[in-house]
Amino acid sequence: MRVAVAEDGALFRQGLVMLLEAAGHEVVAVESGGDPLVAVLGTVPADVALLDIRMPPEPDGGLVTAERLRAAHPDMGLLFLSHYAESHYLMRILEIGTDRIGYRLKEKVGSVEVLSDTLARIADGEIVIEPELAKRLVERPRGEKRDPVSTLSERERDVLKLMAEGRSNNGIASTLYVSGKAVEKHVANIFDKLGLHADTSAHHRRVLAVLTYLRSQRGDA
Amino acid sequence: MTLGGEHGRRAEERWRRRRGLERRLHDGPALRLSALSLRLGVLRADAPDGNEAWRQGLDEFADELAAALQELRDVAAAIYPPLLDEAGLGPALRELVAASGGRARVDADGVRAGTAAEGAAYFATAACLAADRDAPVDVRVRVADGHLVLTLSGVDPALHGVVLDEAVPLGGSVGVTDASAEKTEITARFPCA
Repeated sequence: MRVAVAEDGALFRQGLVMLLEAAGHEVVAVESGGDPLVAVLGTVPADVALLDIRMPPEPDGGLVTAERLRAAHPDMGLLFLSHYAESHYLMRILEIGTDRIGYRLKEKVGSVEVLSDTLARIADGEIVIEPELAKRLVERPRGEKRDPVSTLSERERDVLKLMAEGRSNNGIASTLYVSGKAVEKHVANIFDKLGLHADTSAHHRRVLAVLTYLRSQRGDA
Repeated sequence: MTLGGEHGRRAEERWRRRRGLERRLHDGPALRLSALSLRLGVLRADAPDGNEAWRQGLDEFADELAAALQELRDVAAAIYPPLLDEAGLGPALRELVAASGGRARVDADGVRAGTAAEGAAYFATAACLAADRDAPVDVRVRVADGHLVLTLSGVDPALHGVVLDEAVPLGGSVGVTDASAEKTEITARFPCA
């Protein structure tokens, strides 16, 4: 795979290039900040760009860089590597895109197998989230044991499954042969049953609903 | 707007120093250990075929590195959470509630009030939420008249003291709606820089 790297910490940058090469990937660009990476990738093709979040242009230059790369090269995968795994940044990342994108802790990609698996899944179009963070996001408050997905009706579960595939409300309506209004009502019920209340934006609740569903599917809800 | 005199200025300086310490942890040891975990991955890939003991030793090493990094993150969060600096009280407190599986609600839309007032309000809130993780506390943050105003609804009035500990060094004040109730509302005012 052709990969590009932007990271301002020299030691980590060198380590990453060594590990990528040990895994058999072709490192086509290595930069210490977002702006030079965007410039280089204007002429050099890459399958996935690996970005630090906290790097120039400060303070969260990785996000700005990703937005620019996504606009210029919609097919290029984006993998954020950070010292922190936080839902705040995950939400901002998911606003940039919900496919071909990943967010992982720096030390958790420290093996050829994990690094290659993460890159391959992103290049295949998937979204890869640090497992500990995904788990924390959909964890129920203490004392609630039931898997909330099991409380959904069959139709609501169909709608949630299509949401997880990245469909819009209109797309879901045409797939299920129902009105847009009906889908909106199902979505509101899903948010309600999953305990996602109105103090977060609709986009964020949608993402959280999808994460809950994915976890439930994996059987570790 | 300035803090109340020499006292407030020194408190402000202490908070800046705390934030600086978190950055040093991130840019120094944390980055060095993360880089080591990658170098370890290279070694593991080069391990001689069939030498399971070698691989297993390296895996244990990697686990230890990950544990050390997690401990550094915990220390950094207790000094000055990086998210507080980067995104403000709303995101930082929501992250805290989510990470601890709590039920508190946070309303702090877009408020920014400087390193000291935000730091003091964050740790005052964190101490109150830690006292009872299952309490559905309402946390509200606003800026008015040069002060960050923090309102905690649904808390034990005895927590007045831990909020006072954070507010007083900055020259702030704390009020309790009903000191005899089981649950009450605590309002704290922290001068902004």
